[in-house]
Amino acid sequence: MSKEDEIDDRGFKRDLLASLPNLRAFAVSLTGRHDKADDLVQDTIMKAWANQTSFTAGTNMRAWLFTILRNEFYSQMRKRGREVQDSDGLFSERFSVHPEQYGRLDLQDFRKALDKLPDDQREAIILVGAAGFAYEEAAAICGCAVGTIKSRVSRARTRLQELLGVSGEGDYGPDAGDAAITSRAFGS
Amino acid sequence: MSDDNRKKEEMTETQSHEVRPGAVPPNASISRKLRDFYDAVQEEGIPDRFLDLLERLEQAEKNAKPVNAK
Repeated sequence: MSKEDEIDDRGFKRDLLASLPNLRAFAVSLTGRHDKADDLVQDTIMKAWANQTSFTAGTNMRAWLFTILRNEFYSQMRKRGREVQDSDGLFSERFSVHPEQYGRLDLQDFRKALDKLPDDQREAIILVGAAGFAYEEAAAICGCAVGTIKSRVSRARTRLQELLGVSGEGDYGPDAGDAAITSRAFGS
Repeated sequence: MSDDNRKKEEMTETQSHEVRPGAVPPNASISRKLRDFYDAVQEEGIPDRFLDLLERLEQAEKNAKPVNAK
């Protein structure tokens, strides 16, 4: 149509692309799996594209995309019920890309610890501690109070310290449910 | 007494609002691991399927738009 529209479209696409690696890392953090994460990112891209008129130019596109992805994730979880993550290589699949560069075992332990956090604590610490959002932005993304995010982040840190402090014993950690999933994941 | 002080500091730091994640010594390794984990995924870049998808969305939009609607 008009030139302005085309330019806007390109800007939208460019900003979306720029946010994708970070958005995808968030999806991997939430789902724990690359394949599920990529499906989630794909749904998010399609939603975002379809709703691009509702995005206010000049505002934080990254936060907007994260909000869409997060809503999509929880609504899919509610629809399906939380699937027990299947047994074929939960952790091996995750770090299949550049394991050697990152001290694979070290990150696996960390990933396992992260998986043991309640969803709300995990997303809070990821948003603030890794994705680069301010507490206020994280609160907006999660639809809760800033104080709630702060306390979730703080509890998540404490819990991770506990879990990693006893790493090696993590496989039969305190949560029976998680331990069951873990042993299934490693069982085959 | 310095040990006591340090403990006290850790406790306040954990609860303090102003502490930026990553800047806190007791949590430093947690923060670093968290970012290492996250960055490892980010550095994988953008899978082709998303580039293709955006290409298709863009194309579909162009095709759907009447060139001279008015």
